[in-house]
Amino acid sequence: MRFTLLREPLFQFLVLGAGLFGLFHLVDSRKAETPARIVVSSARIANLADGFARTWQRPPGSEELQGLVDDYIRDEVFYREGRAAGLDRDDVIIRRRVRQKMEFSAEDASIPEPSETQLAAYLEANPERFKTEDHFSFHQVFLSATRRAATIDGDSKRVANALAGADAAVDATAIGDPFLLGEEFHAVSQNEVASVFGDGFAKRISMIEPGRWQGPIPSSFGQHFVYISERIPGSLPPLDAVRQAVRGEWSNARRLEAEQKLYASLRERYEIVVEMPPAKSAQIDKSRQIDKSAQIETSR
Amino acid sequence: MTMLILQRRSFTVLLAASLAATLAATLAANFSMPAFAADPAVNTDIGTLDQETAEKAFPAKPPYSPYAGRNFPTRPLFGDTHLHTSFSMDAGAFGARLGPKDAYRFAKGEEVIASSGQHAKLSRPLDFLVVSDHSDGMGFFPQLMSADPVLMATSQGRKWYDQINSGKGAQAAIDIITSFGRGDLPKGFPTPGTPAYRSAWRETIKAAEEANEPGRFTAFIGYEWTSNAGGNNLHRNVIWRDNGAKASLIEPFTTLPPLGSPNPRDLWKWMAMCEEKTGAEILALAHNGNLSNGRMFPIVESFTGKRIDREYAENRTRWEPLYEATQIKGDGETHPFLSPNDEFANFERWDKGNLDLTELKKPEMLEFEYARSALRNGLKMEAELGVNPYKFGLVGSTDSHTGLTAVEEDNFFGKTSSSEPSAERATHPFVKTEKALIMGWEQTASGYAAVWATENTREAIFDAMKRRETYATTGPRMIVRFFGGWDFEASDANNRMPARIGYTKGVPMGGDLSNAPKGKSPSFLVAALKDPIGANLDRIQVIKGWLGKDGQTQERIFDVAVSGDRKIDADGRSKTPVGNTVDVANATWTNTIGAGEMITVWKDPDFDPALRAFYYVRVIEIPTPRWTAYDAKYFGVTMPKEAPMTTTERAYTSPIWYTP
Repeated sequence: MRFTLLREPLFQFLVLGAGLFGLFHLVDSRKAETPARIVVSSARIANLADGFARTWQRPPGSEELQGLVDDYIRDEVFYREGRAAGLDRDDVIIRRRVRQKMEFSAEDASIPEPSETQLAAYLEANPERFKTEDHFSFHQVFLSATRRAATIDGDSKRVANALAGADAAVDATAIGDPFLLGEEFHAVSQNEVASVFGDGFAKRISMIEPGRWQGPIPSSFGQHFVYISERIPGSLPPLDAVRQAVRGEWSNARRLEAEQKLYASLRERYEIVVEMPPAKSAQIDKSRQIDKSAQIETSR
Repeated sequence: MTMLILQRRSFTVLLAASLAATLAATLAANFSMPAFAADPAVNTDIGTLDQETAEKAFPAKPPYSPYAGRNFPTRPLFGDTHLHTSFSMDAGAFGARLGPKDAYRFAKGEEVIASSGQHAKLSRPLDFLVVSDHSDGMGFFPQLMSADPVLMATSQGRKWYDQINSGKGAQAAIDIITSFGRGDLPKGFPTPGTPAYRSAWRETIKAAEEANEPGRFTAFIGYEWTSNAGGNNLHRNVIWRDNGAKASLIEPFTTLPPLGSPNPRDLWKWMAMCEEKTGAEILALAHNGNLSNGRMFPIVESFTGKRIDREYAENRTRWEPLYEATQIKGDGETHPFLSPNDEFANFERWDKGNLDLTELKKPEMLEFEYARSALRNGLKMEAELGVNPYKFGLVGSTDSHTGLTAVEEDNFFGKTSSSEPSAERATHPFVKTEKALIMGWEQTASGYAAVWATENTREAIFDAMKRRETYATTGPRMIVRFFGGWDFEASDANNRMPARIGYTKGVPMGGDLSNAPKGKSPSFLVAALKDPIGANLDRIQVIKGWLGKDGQTQERIFDVAVSGDRKIDADGRSKTPVGNTVDVANATWTNTIGAGEMITVWKDPDFDPALRAFYYVRVIEIPTPRWTAYDAKYFGVTMPKEAPMTTTERAYTSPIWYTP
């Protein structure tokens, strides 16, 4: 929240003063009431002694144990008072850590071993995640933008004409330029095509018909004429072939779902009011999109 | 990944020669489709299948392609051998929230929410990743934050806990790192054998096992041995060839006595023990010699003050086949002080001091910090000891501590979670001591490892790393080929299949030449193809280092291919710069200069068969906007005057060595 009032020293002073007054009042009034109890259970003491033993490789002596208990009580007193005064509230680290613990507990509670039926059902429900990609076998005639510079457009037309009636057996080597990764690509996936030639090229390849010369298809290297000899459509493998992956995805989905469910059920308990300062969001929202939630401050 | 087998489609022999005007008519009759159809679901070695099928179909003839069964690498795989997640104590303290699982997902191309809350995605997936969290204190941060009683019983543990809880996490992080450098850590700090440690290592292995998809994406098991004695960086990443069953038999080697040691000799002993005891195969690669203050590539060992001996040399060369030559904390190829005639040497230098800036840099330290000078000194040590301790190949990696391997200039997520994209990150100090200051803008958006592996599996990539068939890039995915031999001729540069001629006539990057035929000089087939979505190339250079008759090492740079109509002078140099199309204000450039591809055959004009030498290739891109320019544009901020706004991305190959 960026109100100018908040930046006024006088205002800050007053708020601080009021806060301190409230804090003293709180501490003060509590003194008058029955004191709250701090119970150091025997289990807790055993726990403290155990921690000591792990460090020093021997159990604590009675004085040492007393020291541990005293320190624990000191901890507890400050922790309770600090929390009562709200000192934990605006602490990013504490907030994040507590959130992490909540998320972990959701995860822990949600990862049983999946059954065969569950895995099969997950595979069936999410085929696109496990489907093998389309693969292509093709060869190309490549016209290098670097080698041909000014003549590439003319050359490209000439090659297009020459290839119009040609079949697969054209000797590409005699009309095109060498390409560092070669002219023949056997059973490459669309992703692999993209990694070599770029995304646009891969999309074109995925759409063209096998069995005849097509092109020119541009890439950032130049112009390509392509003959797809074979297109192997992707398919959904049987569960046995992808069990590990399905299991991983299933667990991950379960984890996210549990976390989401936990969050939703907790969030339901709150009425949430977001007071977005108008100037700031306009300044940030320029050419790219940043996650808006990062900019939001919730008010409690 | 063996699918990209470059294989001649037709078994008819008619392809070989001419085409001329009759290309449409003549060839049709003889053509037959290959009889085999590859099973798309199986990532087998298709080259071998083809060969078998071919032999069946044409039993009287050998397969048309003599290389069908040879299975050489056809496409480089790009990855990162060095990434930290929230499991690393310092990453956790800086606010990293993403663990190993998220890191692998991101590398595979999935969108994730970064620790700073921003959406993050790579331009395209990587092929492999090593999550390499610090072995010391692995799982420390989760342990600290859960107020582990053992840690809380120490004054330091208590202090850090309190600092973090009072919002001074960054201060705690720095204190943790410097205490670590001093070897001054609390009792209860996670060491191998303790439950906190074991669970962190188990989680690391589990994440890699789940993410590993042979044929598609390789998730290596690994860790970083973070030797930081006196604040001087001697870090190594350790990588397993094997799966979790073997890696979980042992717990990582740490640097804190009594269990661990900061001396690399002890790491090598541990590695030997690990291989012997568990049957695993592992390798290590060092990084950031630039922050070691003269200790990364010693001639005199810092631990003993003695000259390194044969045992050191043998172990180093056995266990450390690669060096990470470029990353976010600066580039480590060479330094202007060491290479005064190299106009590209002044690139992303971090030369103010050691890792934690507790000791300033002195010029005499530089020789023992940079890859090129180490390769030179390696020749000298080999002449003396009979073994070259510094016979390493080159890769780049990120060393990011965010769980995000994101180092493209326009998609740079910084070194730590506190330096993820923001209006302030460039002008915020990165490391600050009384002695020196490194600013946020000095972070380098770099680099990746390119590996010429025969397929995308742990085994194939690891084996390629062992034979050093790798190169470093500062981020772009340019393709670089480099072969050395005795018989390359100018016409080989026009060969239709550069890889085939390269493997036939020579050895690839990382290889060795010896037995020079009388009167012959080594010749090299050198080629580069730009990143399909990146900038054009300015030039290809061969960098030669050799040991002279006087026992002194020398280096020389040759421009072997340059774009446009620029000339290469008789001295092997092209002094004309390629130009610059960068529009800094808009963070754009055009590919109107430079070349998309380059290939040439280069012969050493100055070869003496009696002298040890190495040759490696450097590919330079045309100038492009640096990440600081993208930040300035996006956040509408002004960068400090001293912050560079353009960069020249590059690749460094592993050398090819000549030994008389």
